[in-house]
Amino acid sequence: MGITLTYTEQELVSLLRNRDNKAFAYLYDNYAAALYSIILQIVSDAELANDVMQEVFVNIWRRIEQYDAGKGRLFTWMMNIARNASIDTLRSRSYQNSRKNQSIGDNVDTLQVKDVLQPGVDTIGLRKVLEKLKDEQRILIELAYFKGYTHEEIAELEKLPLGTVKTRIRNALIQLRGLLK
Amino acid sequence: MNIQEYISSGIVESYVLGLADEAERANFEQMCARHAEVRAAREAFELSLEQHAIASQVAPPAHLRQNILQQLSGESATAVTGSAPVVQMQPIRRSGVPMTIRYVAAASIILLVGSAILNFYYFNKYKEFSQRYDQLLAQQTDLVKNNTVLQTKLTNYEHTIAGLTNPNMAVIKMDGNSVPANGSPAPASLATILWDTQSKDVYLMVNNLPKPESGKQYQLWAIVDNQPVDAGMLDMAHGHAMVKMKNIPRAQLFAITLEQQGGSPTPKGKMYVLGKV
Repeated sequence: MGITLTYTEQELVSLLRNRDNKAFAYLYDNYAAALYSIILQIVSDAELANDVMQEVFVNIWRRIEQYDAGKGRLFTWMMNIARNASIDTLRSRSYQNSRKNQSIGDNVDTLQVKDVLQPGVDTIGLRKVLEKLKDEQRILIELAYFKGYTHEEIAELEKLPLGTVKTRIRNALIQLRGLLK
Repeated sequence: MNIQEYISSGIVESYVLGLADEAERANFEQMCARHAEVRAAREAFELSLEQHAIASQVAPPAHLRQNILQQLSGESATAVTGSAPVVQMQPIRRSGVPMTIRYVAAASIILLVGSAILNFYYFNKYKEFSQRYDQLLAQQTDLVKNNTVLQTKLTNYEHTIAGLTNPNMAVIKMDGNSVPANGSPAPASLATILWDTQSKDVYLMVNNLPKPESGKQYQLWAIVDNQPVDAGMLDMAHGHAMVKMKNIPRAQLFAITLEQQGGSPTPKGKMYVLGKV
């Protein structure tokens, strides 16, 4: 974006807590695109991503008091808000869809890589990095990070022991760190 | 597990990406607080993640900026300056209780307070009236007692008057001077016998007798054929009223002597008055 940093993170947080409109404009100009990318990786639909984006900024506005600098950077906090809002939207939508399609039948057995990984959006962000992982690791990160399933749910879906799920996810994350460097 | 092993176990990435469970998160936050290396590893991964996200950013549609910033200023207009919007929302959330129930609850509290005040008021009244009732009861008891005393006195006087006005009554005056040989200790003593000539009942009126010393009592005698016959004991409490004594069919003299309390079979004490029939 080419905008030079005018606030330290601390200054920015205290201005946001005062509901400073300029600070929110600054936040948007510097981080909206990065957050939009994260949203798109999860919801994939642009129209839906716009709604989620709106929700994310409202949430940042409302919950800025709850941000604890001791637990992580502001961007990490915002990124998790974006991820959670995206997954929630996806779930409420897929819930509605599954209600509509109930008569078609239930083929929610073991999920295959092609069912889980969405084509088209895996060229951006973390998804691009994840391409370098083995399929058996990718699918677990996909379910855990992009779909928001718990380790227990994944173990059930993939018919794997819980310990194996945990180990594979940990190993995938360790590799991810190396790939991001 | 040493710190380096902990750092490279994948927990840092798991925590930052929001994949760690509750227990893992709490443990990691403790480790961060205790070990600068863990904190540094977390910050390093956060930074690389942030840089990667910014590097792979996708510009949102241009109109979105305007929409979102406008919505946020809308939020700020409704929010009281400086206070969190979360606090603002609380009154709406709290209205889970239906208004009717609230009114009923409010009315109950008002009634309870009112009832307590009335209770206090009526208790004080009760105490006051209870005291007054006790006083009145005591007064009434006194009045009844006095009334009984007066009734008795009145009855006695009625008898006296009836006796005095009865044409059948013989009146016998007994005095100290009539005692032979000036033997009366109190010569001014005087008493009157009223003797019903038909029923032969004897009544005595004390006009003047000295108060007997303690342990002594006056006794009335009828002298029949020179023999003294007991005609009854005198009770000085009756004053000058006429008191019914014993029935004496026949007598020539009446006399009063001072005897032991309760009387004697024959006169032993000194004679105070004597009267002839």
